[in-house]
Amino acid sequence: MKRKIGALEKLDADLTSLQYKVRRDPASYLEDHQQQYMQYETQRDLLLQNPSTSDDSGIVRLSDLVDFLAHTADCYPKSTSQFPTDLIQIISQHHDELQPDLRDKIVSNIVLLRNKDIIDSSTLLNTLFPILVSTSSKSLRALLFQKIISDLRSSNVKATNHRLNRTIQTVLFNLLTSDRETTKGLWAVKITRELWKRQIWTDAKAVDIMKEACLSENEKVLSGGTRFFLGGDKEREEAAEDDSDSEGEIDMSKMRHQAGITKKSKKKGREMKKAAATIKRKERKKSAPHPLNFSALHLLHDPQGFAETLFTKHVQNTKSKITLESKLLVLQLVSRLVGLHRLTVISLYSYLLKHLTPRQNSVTSFLAILAQATHSLVPPDVLEPLIQKIANEFVSEASASEVAAAGLNAIREVCARQPLAMNDTLLQDLIMYRKSKDKGVQMAARGLLSLYREVGAELLKKRDRGKEATMGLRTGEHAERRYGEEAAGEIEGIDLLEQWKEEERLKKREAAGLPPDVATDEEEEDEADNWKNWDVESDDSDSSAGWINVESDGEDINISDSEDESKPSAAKKARLSSSTPGADATSTKSEEPEIKKLSKLLTTTILTPADLKRLKELQASAAINAHLPSAKRAAFLAARHADEAITAETIEAAAAIGKKNTREEKIAMAKGDRDEKHQSTTARRKEKKESEGKSTTNKEKARKKNFLMTLGKAKGKNKRSLVDVRKTMLGHKERSKRGGKRGNKGN
Amino acid sequence: MGGASAKRKKEKKKDFQKPKLKVGKAKPKAANSTDTSFKAKAIALKQQTLSTNAPTVEAQCAHHLGLLNHKSDTQRRDSLAYLTTVMSTHPPDIPLPQPSSVIIPTVQRLILDGSNAVRQQLLKLLQSLPKNDIASNTDQLLLHTRAGMTHLSTEIRTFALDVLEWLLASAGDEVVSCAGGWVKTLKCFMSLLGWKVETSGNWTAPKSFGKSSGDSKIQVKQMNALTSFLRAGLLHSQTAMQVGNGADSFPLWQTEHHMLSERSNVYAHLNLFGAHRDEEAEMYEDREDRQRVFHDRAEAAIVAGLEQATKGGGEQGRAAASLRKVVKEGMIDYRT
Repeated sequence: MKRKIGALEKLDADLTSLQYKVRRDPASYLEDHQQQYMQYETQRDLLLQNPSTSDDSGIVRLSDLVDFLAHTADCYPKSTSQFPTDLIQIISQHHDELQPDLRDKIVSNIVLLRNKDIIDSSTLLNTLFPILVSTSSKSLRALLFQKIISDLRSSNVKATNHRLNRTIQTVLFNLLTSDRETTKGLWAVKITRELWKRQIWTDAKAVDIMKEACLSENEKVLSGGTRFFLGGDKEREEAAEDDSDSEGEIDMSKMRHQAGITKKSKKKGREMKKAAATIKRKERKKSAPHPLNFSALHLLHDPQGFAETLFTKHVQNTKSKITLESKLLVLQLVSRLVGLHRLTVISLYSYLLKHLTPRQNSVTSFLAILAQATHSLVPPDVLEPLIQKIANEFVSEASASEVAAAGLNAIREVCARQPLAMNDTLLQDLIMYRKSKDKGVQMAARGLLSLYREVGAELLKKRDRGKEATMGLRTGEHAERRYGEEAAGEIEGIDLLEQWKEEERLKKREAAGLPPDVATDEEEEDEADNWKNWDVESDDSDSSAGWINVESDGEDINISDSEDESKPSAAKKARLSSSTPGADATSTKSEEPEIKKLSKLLTTTILTPADLKRLKELQASAAINAHLPSAKRAAFLAARHADEAITAETIEAAAAIGKKNTREEKIAMAKGDRDEKHQSTTARRKEKKESEGKSTTNKEKARKKNFLMTLGKAKGKNKRSLVDVRKTMLGHKERSKRGGKRGNKGN
Repeated sequence: MGGASAKRKKEKKKDFQKPKLKVGKAKPKAANSTDTSFKAKAIALKQQTLSTNAPTVEAQCAHHLGLLNHKSDTQRRDSLAYLTTVMSTHPPDIPLPQPSSVIIPTVQRLILDGSNAVRQQLLKLLQSLPKNDIASNTDQLLLHTRAGMTHLSTEIRTFALDVLEWLLASAGDEVVSCAGGWVKTLKCFMSLLGWKVETSGNWTAPKSFGKSSGDSKIQVKQMNALTSFLRAGLLHSQTAMQVGNGADSFPLWQTEHHMLSERSNVYAHLNLFGAHRDEEAEMYEDREDRQRVFHDRAEAAIVAGLEQATKGGGEQGRAAASLRKVVKEGMIDYRT
């Protein structure tokens, strides 16, 4: 309990008023300040005699003095030069013994001194951080954590403070590497994650800290580190979205309106200006280019080594005693790395082989991990036993339908990444499950079938291949990709661009009355012009900007037929991709020379930004033409980015299809997110009005008025003479003409 | 009001329905009943003493010492008064009901107490304590006294001077020779009197905030306190004279130097366990040391201040004259 301060003390010992005066005129109050400083020194000495004292009056007085001195320290830099070091010494030596109030006060005053630029950030952080790590008080830790984060934030606001960031990152890194057994490193993880989320630290060094955390021996620290890699980037994106969402809070028109009505004061004017400035700043921020932030997984140095050490240290090591949950986290991270960077950790697959039984705890996670760890460079013979085992253990008539569905789904996910891991007998066996009664199993088997129609149709029986794949096989288009083979790199849609360029060229030549084949000087000049004014072309050349030509398939063919002779063959290939497969069966023979021509544009010219923009437009218009289901499926697969993780839910999804929902679940699903109660439009408007703080109209007031209060007037109305009634009626008419009692204008 | 009113009637009735009581069932709880049960890790019951015989003086003293934290001014003053009576009426040959080493640490923070009555009573209690016990607690007392001397409140500042006078009278040597006792106290005096070594400009010093230093009565008091402080610090002490005459115990000259000291914490000046001390917090045990520091830090300011004060004449002038005399006497052999 705080002792009340007596009237006498209040009268004289009013530090607030002294503080006010000191701040106004430092020179005149130097002596008083020095006296207070001496008072502080004696109080401090008293405290240091017994730091754990609970003498209320002394502590209150000291904390008041500390507050006063911290607030005025910038006025007397010379005489208070020792003050910051004093405070730092007290808090670092006695933070465990001090009374919580005084302790918190000292911490916040040190931060205040930092904000006044009396001490620098690194001093502050070097003071606070060791306490954060060593103190046993929860509330102090929370306070320190908050102060550390906010200081790092504020010192990175204007420009990134590389030096400070580097020192702190080194401190955190050393903390993690020096002590791998205890939970101390958790603070490094927490701080790094928070700063990563706020996009203050986005560099490889922060990722390095987390990498060290993952290699820690302490379970808490290591799971914190792995969680960061698995979810840190998503968290950062969400935080950025939240930020941009919550910004549109100031209603400028409302403020302007209110400024017109309420009393004008300097303060109101200032507020208006401030609001306008914030809105302007926000708008500028909105229009600013999106900061290019690399994901943490991409910033890792030596992912191969990291994945290997993670796996051997935490998963394979029989001495590590981490729980299954953390182990799964580590495995997820390892498989994510393997999938993303296409690493080779062969022992991972044999490890997984052991755990792929339906009775294994959270086996769907294991299946997801396996799928995630598969990529096109994993040897098929490593994966084959795994797939065989999944098929044996999960997919059988005897096993429950959910299990079979999960197994089939897992096989499909693995094979989507490495189709060569499948043999024909097994595949044909598995595909038979599409006749299953259970919907989930059915769908999963169908998924597998449609996958192999695209990636390896020759493994299927002839009648299962389907029309497209059969035709593709016959023409040789659906050639099986061999192990390690990569698709030739090209810019997507470059054929479209080339075709467009050709057309443009022809148009120009026709306009100039020249033969279409011979190159002229003028054209070369034109090219040079393009380089000079970088993206002028995109501005003036396109008369129908923003319009997309959607052509029906038939028309497309007609046009190509009519112009086939006059155009170079490069255009043909372009049409090939967009037209139906039946139509171009004749032209496939001349494919080989076309491919060579295609790459000509890329090897002979450098694309300008205007070209790239045009390319994007062409791609968009081409995409609209593609309505075929196979195109849709391909687009869906392409949309699933390699960066995204596969989770247990992906594996379980198929099983959920066949499941019958209960009544409650159905109702909840139908309701969706709309949990608000039904309201009429009027009621909603009224509520909105009230929430905006607008007042009611006179009509509403009259309607709401208490009945008894209106009685007297109503009674009197009945007794009026005809003349009186006429008078009131006339008055009413007159008023409505004028527009109310006070009238519309000054008349 | 047809069907709706029937429904409403039923609803209304429901509110006032009497709950049926049944044998063997617990009584239904009222709608407005409040659950007063609570959970606690420990429950402390405050209990008044139930013993039949009157409490001993020791127990009562301990009780009153505990009451010194009481929030009421009167209670604090009354407790101090009780302690004062016990101490002053106590026969000198029997040990005190509560030793001074217990009393002083508890009461010393009341030097900064907000109430004047409490402070005056405190001074009486301090004066009633045996002088021999003060010496071992000087440094703590002096810390609080200095805190009082720098306090914002004028009354507390003036009162602290009374305490200092008493301290000097009962343990003058310890006051000037304890850690920080000489320099820091001198600094306190300088700031109290407003005497500065160097004047930064030729502007007249503004009147200070929160203190009426212009009051000559208070200044007189301050100068008197400074006089006695300097007398204790700069003049030869009586105890020092006693040491010299060991000639009568002929073969055992200077035995007392080889005996264990009677003081507690004899080697305090070595500062074996404490924090590092700077010049201000250092102990100055020799008269010569004190003279040197006094000459370095304060003498010029005092001489300059004295000039001003002497011009004032009257009581102020007299106090200034006595102070000047002490300074002269104290520094006489330093110059030579």
